[in-house]
Amino acid sequence: MFKYLSLILKNSVRSKRRSALTVLSIAASLCLLGVLGAFYHVFFLDPPTEEQALRLWVRNRISLANPLPLAYQQRIAGAPGVRDVMVFQWFGGTYKDREAKNFFARFAVEPERLFSIYPEYRVAEDQKLAFQRERTACMVGRKLADRLGFKLGDRIVLEGDIFPVRLELTVRAVYDSPRDNENLLFHFEYLKESMPGYRGEMVSNFVIAARSAEEVPHIAEAVDAMFRNSAQQTKTETEKAFELSFLAFIGNVKVFLLSVCSAITFTILLVSGNTMAMSVRERVREVGILKTLGFTRGAILGVILAEAVVIALLGGIIGMFIAAGILDLMSRAPSIATDMSRLTLPPLIWGLCLAVSIFVGAVSAFVPAWNASRRSIVEALRFTD
Amino acid sequence: MSETVIETRNLSKTFVRDSFEIHALEDVNLQLHRGEFVALMGPSGSGKSTLLHLIAAMDRPSSGQIVTLGQDLATLDDHDIARWRNQHIGFVFQTFNLIPVLTALENVELPLKLTRLKKAERLAHARTALELVGLGDRMHHTPRQLSGGQEQRVAIARAVVTDPDLILADEPTGNLDAVSAREVLTLLSRLNQEFGKTVVMVTHDPHAAHAAQKIRYLDKARLLPEGDVPEDWTMAATQKR
Repeated sequence: MFKYLSLILKNSVRSKRRSALTVLSIAASLCLLGVLGAFYHVFFLDPPTEEQALRLWVRNRISLANPLPLAYQQRIAGAPGVRDVMVFQWFGGTYKDREAKNFFARFAVEPERLFSIYPEYRVAEDQKLAFQRERTACMVGRKLADRLGFKLGDRIVLEGDIFPVRLELTVRAVYDSPRDNENLLFHFEYLKESMPGYRGEMVSNFVIAARSAEEVPHIAEAVDAMFRNSAQQTKTETEKAFELSFLAFIGNVKVFLLSVCSAITFTILLVSGNTMAMSVRERVREVGILKTLGFTRGAILGVILAEAVVIALLGGIIGMFIAAGILDLMSRAPSIATDMSRLTLPPLIWGLCLAVSIFVGAVSAFVPAWNASRRSIVEALRFTD
Repeated sequence: MSETVIETRNLSKTFVRDSFEIHALEDVNLQLHRGEFVALMGPSGSGKSTLLHLIAAMDRPSSGQIVTLGQDLATLDDHDIARWRNQHIGFVFQTFNLIPVLTALENVELPLKLTRLKKAERLAHARTALELVGLGDRMHHTPRQLSGGQEQRVAIARAVVTDPDLILADEPTGNLDAVSAREVLTLLSRLNQEFGKTVVMVTHDPHAAHAAQKIRYLDKARLLPEGDVPEDWTMAATQKR
């Protein structure tokens, strides 16, 4: 087939406008497919990092809105395989106003445990000590600091909503992390003492650090079994599963993404099929000429299919580069529902999308190419469109 | 007696169009020998082109036998026929039928792509063929950049590039002006005389037919005996004169 390359390439751009429009329509569809594929990969296929694989999250079995007693922490720490347990309390509240640009995640944590459970948080030693030492200190992610211009020593005031308190925090550390570097973290003790009584003794989540990844499933079972007969039963799951549970709030995202991807593939098949049929129909006479010269049915089928694949593949490659650009922009945007910084176009999605391009090209051209290759020479030479 | 290159025995071809049977050829018995230049003439619909297509194995007969270059074509499947055609037949069409997106050189190289020749060898053969037809300076022109006569000469170069035994030409001068037609006929005669190619040419044009050594007439799907001319044809020729 390689020796027919010049014929294939020249035929592919025979009608420049039509080829360009076909390439663009495939590029647009493949771009969308690539972006959705990247989301699917981040949500469902991206393996947890080494540190993530050791972490479990504990929440109330009923819902995230129902808190757990702080006293559970000691009992969880005693479960076999548990290395450490830390409170991880969503604070919510408002910074300055309710504008989206001022929104970021705020959590109350235990700084003395934080860096052992989240070793991927990198922070200068003096900043780390300053953050751990001072009860009203807070630590912000690099991306958040860059976005809102936070500097060491800045004062941040958070007005609570779930928690009716006003927290006055001082930025003492800025952390870097390959993910989740848009959070603000402060001392749970500060929140607890601001919320005296019953509310200060309840928390939304605990984060467990397991001794080894093999022990993670056993810890989940053991912790949930420990509180099965309690008023507040627990649900313990891996960090990855915990993140995915947020997606479930908006429905079955997996089915949704797969359905949209299938619909896109089907649509480009139809668009491409129509174009390929037109293109082959215009050249039935040439099929007769090629056959007269001695081309076999197989060679003709191959040449026409290769032309379609070249067009579809070109569209696919352009689409994927656009998708990579869009994902790069998205990964720099502020995270809202999920950590967008992980959005990239992984080799798996690249490969799958290019395979879809080849599939679209080959399938869309197969029927017209097959019919043309089977036409008798005399019939093909007499063909008028 | 030189070698027989085409022999047909009771060759018939019937087309079915909208449930009507059209007899395009009936009981044609023809023998042509190596090195002959034969013109097939006859009125429209007499079966000239159909006979040429059957000789080139571009179509299958309804009945009868055709042996071209010693090969009974009925014994070959489609794949082998395509290969056989590539090796033994060079076909020239009335409407040139070049591939518009390819240059003259690429058009001529096309049949050689089906051979085992390397690219450099293919291009060398294609250049030689184009030089033979006097288009050495038009190799990189596309068909749109050539005149009708030049296009037909490229088509002849394409037909001879594989060094076939048989050149079949279907109204090769039908779309050309008088000067270009004369050039094409001279070229076909040269291929016949200098290179010993057997040429079968279908034509309407008596002037073109005179380039051939022998003229055979078809009338109403039948091949007339050698020397016979259709009655209407003689009258028309007389009126023209």
